[in-house]
Amino acid sequence: MTESGERQQQPACIHACLKIGGISAARIVLWLAAITIVSFVIGFGILALSGGFPPGPDESLSLFRHSAFYTPNTTEVPLDGAVAGDIALTLGAGELRVRGGAPDAVLIGTTVFSRAPEWQPELVQSINNSRKSVEITEKGHKGKEWFAVDSPNSWTVLVNEKVPVRLEVNVGAGDSTLDLRKITLESLTVNNGAGDTTVELGNYPDRRFDATIRNGVGDLTLRVPPESNTRIHAETGLGDITSNGFVQDGDSFVTAGFNPSLAFNEITLNQGVGSIILETL
Amino acid sequence: MLQTEQEYIRILRSRLEGTLPDDELNDIISDYTEHFRIGKADGRTEEDLFSSLGSPEDVAREIRATHLVRKAEGDRSWKNIIHAVLATLGLGLFNLVFVLVPFVILVVLLFVVFFAGIACAVFGPVAGIFAVLQMAGLPAFAIWQSPAAGIFFSLGITTLGLLLVIGDYYLARFFYHIGIRYLKWNIGVITGTEQIP
Repeated sequence: MTESGERQQQPACIHACLKIGGISAARIVLWLAAITIVSFVIGFGILALSGGFPPGPDESLSLFRHSAFYTPNTTEVPLDGAVAGDIALTLGAGELRVRGGAPDAVLIGTTVFSRAPEWQPELVQSINNSRKSVEITEKGHKGKEWFAVDSPNSWTVLVNEKVPVRLEVNVGAGDSTLDLRKITLESLTVNNGAGDTTVELGNYPDRRFDATIRNGVGDLTLRVPPESNTRIHAETGLGDITSNGFVQDGDSFVTAGFNPSLAFNEITLNQGVGSIILETL
Repeated sequence: MLQTEQEYIRILRSRLEGTLPDDELNDIISDYTEHFRIGKADGRTEEDLFSSLGSPEDVAREIRATHLVRKAEGDRSWKNIIHAVLATLGLGLFNLVFVLVPFVILVVLLFVVFFAGIACAVFGPVAGIFAVLQMAGLPAFAIWQSPAAGIFFSLGITTLGLLLVIGDYYLARFFYHIGIRYLKWNIGVITGTEQIP
């Protein structure tokens, strides 16, 4: 290239040929981009080999540890000779699952997948006249976890299936799945502010059973055994009521062959916004 | 109310002094003096000439904005582009919407990208140290799902941060170029000249 030709190209080269330590900026950018891409590819490759990628169905993608899943806090509340129980669960925000399956000597076993320590709920228990009371309450959290922004707050509660219990569930925001078919329930109260609620009840032919379920915003699904003697009063502010296997009797829904002269299940549903689905399964 | 050509020229000069170099200012004053001379020779009155030219304050604002935009174009700096934007704002209150708002948005965008880049460039090495500590078996520093992957992610985050900072530099240059063209177009539309030669 002639000297005049080089001189002509100089103005166009002022920006593109910016040099740092003798290396052009373009080369630096290309090297950085290559290192970035290769680093992330290798990182995700290692993560995939170690089972962290892709994430499971209940996990969100994160490069960082979800301390909640790595450090579940399991607590068992013994019966201490009690023959009945009162259980109150209060979860501010998160996911709640309740089902049977606690060991015989235990009233409830609670596994909390939550950020320690500020997210851990408070446990209060007492016993009175062979009746054990348990309150598990999330007191709220104030701290900020920098490395696991989407860390979950999830409770799994196992309840003794043989001991009769009165169950109260309060959830501020989140989904609740209450599989109570095997639990010996005396009564049930559910309050859910926002989120979907699914309740599956068992058959209680030898006594009256009352349940009240209130759901603010979200869908509410209630399942009862078809052979149960059940009457449901359902109210919804904004949303549809869908029933499958029930007979509508005025404002109520009853199971086939419902007989009010026998012991029956009286269930009140109060829904703010969302659908109510009634099923016999 | 203007009384004479001398008063018009005096106001115009006083408004432009300190902004324009003396030689350029003298050229402009000469042009306007010549315009008055030719106009009068054609039999036009001073009032008619005042009316066709516009007030000396408006003329000075347009000249000042044009000059500062050209200065910002020739000598790229934050100071010059801010002066150009402020001068253009003086051409009309509506430019608060058409000039100031886009300018502020672009500046904020550039700062966000810059600080994101700095954050990544700083966080990357720190997180890399955490990965090494985690590999050494110190559970208190276990932040990565996989410490081996964490070392590579740290490197990637660091280089990504550097890329963002460098990219922000070129983005600023691009916005500067586009901004100058937009200011020129804006002045041209307001003054009716469509474009500044």
